[in-house]
Amino acid sequence: MLRWLARRIIAAALVVFVVTSLVFVVTHIFTDPATVSLPLEATEEHRANRRAVLGLDRPLSVQYWDFVSGLVVGDLGESFWQSQPASKLVFERLPATLKLVGGAIAVTVLLAAPMGMLAAWWERRFADHAVLGFSMVSISAPPFWIGYLLIIVFAVQLGWVPTFGSSGFVSLILPSFAIGLASAGRLAQMTRRGIVEELRKPYAVTALSRGFSRSYTIVHHTFRNVASGFVTMTGWELTRMFTGYTVVIEVVFAWPGVGRLAIHAIENRDLILVQAAVVVLATLVVVTNLLVDIARRLIDPRVELA
Amino acid sequence: MSVSTTGGDGRTERLLEVKDLTVGFPTRDGTVLGVDGLTLNVGSHERLGVVGESGSGKSVMGLAILGMVLPPGRIMGGSVRWKGEDVLDEAVANRVRGREIAMIFQDPMVSLNPLKTVGAQLRELLQRRVGLQGSAVRKRSLELLDMVGIANAPERMKAYAYELSGGMRQRVMIAAALACEPTLLIADEPTTGLDVTIQDQILTLLRNLSTELGVSVLMITHDLGVVAQFCDRVQVMYAGRIVERAPIAEMFADPQHPYSLGLLQSVPRVDRDDRELTGIPGEPLDRAKFPPGCAFDPRCAEAREGCQVAPPPLVKTADRRWVACYNRPGEGAT
Repeated sequence: MLRWLARRIIAAALVVFVVTSLVFVVTHIFTDPATVSLPLEATEEHRANRRAVLGLDRPLSVQYWDFVSGLVVGDLGESFWQSQPASKLVFERLPATLKLVGGAIAVTVLLAAPMGMLAAWWERRFADHAVLGFSMVSISAPPFWIGYLLIIVFAVQLGWVPTFGSSGFVSLILPSFAIGLASAGRLAQMTRRGIVEELRKPYAVTALSRGFSRSYTIVHHTFRNVASGFVTMTGWELTRMFTGYTVVIEVVFAWPGVGRLAIHAIENRDLILVQAAVVVLATLVVVTNLLVDIARRLIDPRVELA
Repeated sequence: MSVSTTGGDGRTERLLEVKDLTVGFPTRDGTVLGVDGLTLNVGSHERLGVVGESGSGKSVMGLAILGMVLPPGRIMGGSVRWKGEDVLDEAVANRVRGREIAMIFQDPMVSLNPLKTVGAQLRELLQRRVGLQGSAVRKRSLELLDMVGIANAPERMKAYAYELSGGMRQRVMIAAALACEPTLLIADEPTTGLDVTIQDQILTLLRNLSTELGVSVLMITHDLGVVAQFCDRVQVMYAGRIVERAPIAEMFADPQHPYSLGLLQSVPRVDRDDRELTGIPGEPLDRAKFPPGCAFDPRCAEAREGCQVAPPPLVKTADRRWVACYNRPGEGAT
């Protein structure tokens, strides 16, 4: 188990390295940070000047070495929009994003698991159809639209929560739901389908034939067997949240997180800051996948230690 | 039905009485009957065999006796009585299932929960269905594993199903089935898929346990060899219906229904090696195309006019012998 874990961690580190290198390729080879950060009417002289200031006139190999050695010590370059270290800007915003994703994934899991189990329990009955209906709507509606809807109803009309900002737990509720509802819909359907399938398997029929109730069998026998898939899917949803939903929802709710920072960085043509945000978010995705692998191994002893 | 429908000789107490049990599965072409008007009785200390080919409704029958049908199937009629109580009543079923009637299944590979250890699966039964607490649970678990011939029981308690051999898994299943000291054990193809030597060990184990513990067994199988080795009495099933019912020796000496005859002629016999093996002509029945008359008619060598009109009733032809065939007139109407 420990050797397996060590191998997985090394593999994850390699993935982070490859992804960050790709980010470097995009920001330094396909585009020119100096040109991007200057107004359109800037002269060639201005650009050359800016390149010299940013060290972009050095050979690419030297710049890459600089970039990689900076990564190792957490130096992600200096933002030319804010004139501060990019890593400092990103890490300042990171707790807010983590809080938001944490809230969203809590909404996802706490809604999906019971809804999936209820739908399976009442297979082809009203509750099943109701859960299916919820899932269809939540999956089809774009998160930003759900976000605006929630703001209009709960913040503007009912006035229960603030419309934007991150002032404590209450302000976390709406954006968490805006992100988590679609994920919950997908996960609930997957859970329901998994349990219904498992209930037809001989071990579940055996449990029922021993007089265990349908609810006991679902919770204690089948859910364990779909848990591995559930964790994997939850990991995918987390990944989507880090790389997509949080960016949109942070803008909608004016949430001071990494996603909104990235958007502002793009607006201000600050490629170094964009690069830093992408590196941090990509690392979170890789760490998520690593945690999913570990969780699956803990749930199912048959998972290969490969 | 009269008392003579029991296979017992008066000394046995009637435990299970299934009457006209019908299980239907809705399909695009209408409802297919998995079990069609099934009638059977099991007495105390009795080992009854039900033989039939795949798709004859044997397994559906086994579950239906516990009041269970996999969706979208449904019990459409008939009754199942356990010591006089209606098992199709959910409250009775919840009490009887696992406690008084236990069941073991064909594939021990998948009948054990893959993510629970042997010990956890026994513990759950002993705590929730028997009501044992504390150290009694572990003591009884070890006792059960020992009873079914599992060596090194304390170690095996920690094992998952995938760490055990097929024979070992079936032994665990039997231990779990016996955990609540049931009066009847329904065994659905318990030896299918196991090596021949292991099959023999499992059957011997089941027979010894049923004698020692006084458990009746309803053995569901496609294997006449299993029936010959194990049962006192046998019922032959075809297309969801019982076509013949007889004491074991008489069935093998003198099968009456053309289908039973065909079944016997298609298996090798050690005691008579002079005979050539013959198969039953035709295909096993496609259950969606139900003939209105005798279901065996399309494959029957003795089919004649009149067989296609209605299914023949199961009638008594001699003492303890029942046949459903127009060519075997009974002693009288049932």
